[in-house]
Amino acid sequence: MSIFTSEHKQASLADAACIVRDGMTIAIGGGLSWREPVAFLRELIRQGRRDLHVVGTAHGVDVDLLCGAGAVSVVEESYVGFEQDFGMAPNYRRACQDGLTKVYDTCCHTLIQQLRAAEYGVPFLPVRSVQGTDFLQLHAEYKTMTCPFTGLPLVLVPALAPDVAIVHAQYGDAQGNLKILPPLVADLLFIRASKHVIATVEQLLPADELRALQPNVPYFWVEAVVEAPYGAHPTSCYPFYSYDRAHLAEYYRAAQAGPETFAREYLDPYVFAPATHEDYLQRVGGIAKQQTLQSWKDGDDAWMALFTTPEGAIA
Amino acid sequence: MIDTAITSVTLPEVMIYQVARTIQDGELVFHGYASPVPTLAMLLAKRTHAPRMVHIEGATYSVNPDPPFLPPTSNDWVLERGGVMSLGISDLFDIAARGDMGRMFLSGVQVDRYGNLNVMSIGSPASPRVKLPGSGGGCNLSGDVQHVTIWTTGHRALANKAGKRQFRFVKHIDFISSIGHVARDGTTREALGLRGGGPEWVVTELGVFDFDPLTRVLRLHALYPDTSVQDVLDNTEFEPVIAPDVGIVPLPTPEHIALIRRFDPLNTHQHEFKATDLARRFSL
Repeated sequence: MSIFTSEHKQASLADAACIVRDGMTIAIGGGLSWREPVAFLRELIRQGRRDLHVVGTAHGVDVDLLCGAGAVSVVEESYVGFEQDFGMAPNYRRACQDGLTKVYDTCCHTLIQQLRAAEYGVPFLPVRSVQGTDFLQLHAEYKTMTCPFTGLPLVLVPALAPDVAIVHAQYGDAQGNLKILPPLVADLLFIRASKHVIATVEQLLPADELRALQPNVPYFWVEAVVEAPYGAHPTSCYPFYSYDRAHLAEYYRAAQAGPETFAREYLDPYVFAPATHEDYLQRVGGIAKQQTLQSWKDGDDAWMALFTTPEGAIA
Repeated sequence: MIDTAITSVTLPEVMIYQVARTIQDGELVFHGYASPVPTLAMLLAKRTHAPRMVHIEGATYSVNPDPPFLPPTSNDWVLERGGVMSLGISDLFDIAARGDMGRMFLSGVQVDRYGNLNVMSIGSPASPRVKLPGSGGGCNLSGDVQHVTIWTTGHRALANKAGKRQFRFVKHIDFISSIGHVARDGTTREALGLRGGGPEWVVTELGVFDFDPLTRVLRLHALYPDTSVQDVLDNTEFEPVIAPDVGIVPLPTPEHIALIRRFDPLNTHQHEFKATDLARRFSL
């Protein structure tokens, strides 16, 4: 963890993405279909970042997208998939099976202990679990010992300080103070454990307005803040928008069809072709799409309808 | 509210009821993400036989939520609705690590005789033939949680495209991502110093199982009205123990069924089931 005291952290997506270099370990905020910093990840892909080592708990389109763009060499997540909605993550699965990324699965509490060790400034923390599972063979860096107090076996997991944590917050200010609304998933752990923190935010507010919201991340942990409305799309970022199930269905079809189709039908139109984030938002449906994704506020029936769109309907 | 119009029940609803019956009143209970069957079982249990159950929701960690519907993804604000608050991720896993989580639900693409589960990979772990999504919190929780209920909708060993039957209940498990009663080298979970009691119940589309106390091997406890001991034997690669008094599972009441249907107007749970099992119905 480093301390960043600049008063002015506001940056463009392109400038902030320069903090991430090839080969770095990155922790991606949010989880599953919620509040993942996908606009930032698209920028990393546009800039051609390679050999990233991604760490996290339960993730979906974010990690799958990076795998589909060939940007990842190690995946240390506890889950990468599209749940019962669409199923297994096609690009992630291919990257693992073809040997393009190292299979390095972790488990939630193991990773929490590793991040907390970094946060606490200690070299390791113990877990009682993991014993008896094959994760011990997968991770040579885990050690076992007999507890000097209880005489029982323990697994020791080393501190893990990601090079960069990337989170998408609902609100921030130009100094880098953030207000992230729950579920926080592992965001606060990532922020406290990582060497650099980049935040994209739905709304950049004047300092006094942000302070009135009672920020839960102080500026000195944050190196750069980027205003990116709909920056979590196609994942959700309540209270602003639900996830874009129709877009995810389109993503999934392209990913499932193979790397060439994915490159042609998804990466080209949605990652490489848009000159800016605003351009991307136009390509995925513009204002009309945004109004649809906001309609969860109109009551339970409208909210339910977002999960039964024809394009994304349950097979 | 008694819905007299309900005269039959689907197999998925019967399975949800069996999973609900494994929950004890007063337990702190957690379901993982992508787990509509346990989610509905918990909502049902808390509103019927287990009102003091503490319900922790799978990805939002909402405490005692009352969602108006189940979406097809787990980390969504709708699943926090009606809850007291959302716990942090560390809070949740610390509760389990210190031994205060009463029950959790796990599934697997491979299940062995001791209730070890695999959701990691098929084939060699380093270069898998099929990379599965991963264990989430299951590896840690399988060691820490007091009781585990395993559920799967894929017990039936269907043939793949090459005509080879694919067993889910396997003799040899490719990767142990969640620990059951006995590890690969024969060490029991007690000898490993694990805090939790391990898998207690296994609910599949063919029957309900527990574990033989002596051998720790999967034991058939009860069947559905349309399944047989032979069905179980034919679809299990190892030889399960058959309890001497195998019965038929109790069916849910119309009240239970009405609750399940109210909780899941989008039928999100049906996504877990094959068409042949969705078509199975029983008269009340």
